[in-house]
Amino acid sequence: MTLNRTRAALLLATLAGAAAVHSIAAQSPSSASAPQVPQPALRPQSSPASRPVIVLDPAHGGADTGASLPGNLAEKDVTLAFAQKLRALLGPAGFTVITTRDSDPAVPLSTDDRAQTANRAHALACIVLHATAAGSGVHVYTSTLQPAPALDADSVPAYAPVPWESAQAAFVTQSRRLGDDLRETLTKSGASPLLGRAPLRPLDNLLCPAVALEIAPQSSGDGSSTPVTDSGYQQTVAQAIVAALQAWSVQNPSGDAAQ
Amino acid sequence: MIPRYQRILFWSLAAATLLMAGFLLHGCRQAREKLTRRRNETPLSAPVETPSQSVRLAVASDADGTISMADRNLALPSDPTTRARALLARLIAEYSWKNSTHPLESGPAIDDVFLLDLPLKPAAAFNAASTGPANDTSPAQPAPASASAGQLAVVNLNGGFVSHHPSGIEVETLTVDSIVGTLFANFPRVVQVRFLVDGQPHDTLAGHADLTRTYQAVDTATAGTAP
Repeated sequence: MTLNRTRAALLLATLAGAAAVHSIAAQSPSSASAPQVPQPALRPQSSPASRPVIVLDPAHGGADTGASLPGNLAEKDVTLAFAQKLRALLGPAGFTVITTRDSDPAVPLSTDDRAQTANRAHALACIVLHATAAGSGVHVYTSTLQPAPALDADSVPAYAPVPWESAQAAFVTQSRRLGDDLRETLTKSGASPLLGRAPLRPLDNLLCPAVALEIAPQSSGDGSSTPVTDSGYQQTVAQAIVAALQAWSVQNPSGDAAQ
Repeated sequence: MIPRYQRILFWSLAAATLLMAGFLLHGCRQAREKLTRRRNETPLSAPVETPSQSVRLAVASDADGTISMADRNLALPSDPTTRARALLARLIAEYSWKNSTHPLESGPAIDDVFLLDLPLKPAAAFNAASTGPANDTSPAQPAPASASAGQLAVVNLNGGFVSHHPSGIEVETLTVDSIVGTLFANFPRVVQVRFLVDGQPHDTLAGHADLTRTYQAVDTATAGTAP
């Protein structure tokens, strides 16, 4: 009889322990049971405050293949591969990385979907990745929107609506500064960048300092050209981007740029 | 010694050959006369002599991603709509030339250009104005002509041009900026530009440059004057 009571007590204790562990695991997304792929629609709860968030948007995907690149490659595959390479470098550099896609989706993501993912992340910087066979070097683009005029904080309601089509206007100045930083670092790495403004979605809808990077073949003085698929070239560009983002993070601690 | 029957055969064949050649020449001459008679050479309208005039093209360069202004002497129609179409057709045609700084495929690129006075009349107001005061219940009133605040240029691109356009942010943005800059430089009343493809709204030019927005007609030149 005493033995049965002891067994029952042990069983209850085990069940209570299991329930407690399950409860803790459910509240902690960083646990092993959490999905490895970030959920695009959710703000990353797992990122510590000390780790700034970078959003990577590998453009195109699914039926939207993007540009046709030499070697029978599609732009969507090159941007995805480059985003994974960049992610692998950004993680150890102290960033939390959120990507709008980690695979080739059956149904292409709309630019609005991508913007929503980025906006929910409250990112330090958003990088839209493209690749092309035209032109040369790395093209850095910011939005064509004019910067929003500075308003008196007292005259603006606490929850003033932000027009979707011009959401980036509040961040255009910071985006241009980020573009300048990227150009500087890319120049130092020998990637011959080109800075400009482009009417490109989803840049105008992003609520973060945002740039679009288009990787083009690297032309050299002797007339030869390094393709965008060259691993060494991609690595050089990725390292330059990480260096620029690290400098950007120092200049804008605790994500001030995205506030 | 050639037998007699062979000589007769040879001369007969030679005569037949000459006869057939003469018949063929006669037939060709008759066909040419027939075609000439059918050609209608009646003058339907008096020939118009259009003097060449200086225009400015916003020429794109892929190498450095710039737009530069280039002067050209062209004979263009006087009607503004036709003139805008001819000007843009010439601009895109130059991109298909050898050694172009912004290479595009040759072929028809601009189907139409429409120049509309701003502000645009709402459809309801337009219908009310066209059907008379009995149906004038809409709060929207057609804007008087004197209140025009410039013009909206609607550029209808050819679907073949769009489908063969190179894909990329830089190359597409340069094409759009080149068209907008050329309209700005030659049509002072144009303040906005919109794009259609085969008469329909289209998301992007070739996957990147947004064609759904209204572009402000501004000076898009980012470099000096091109040759």
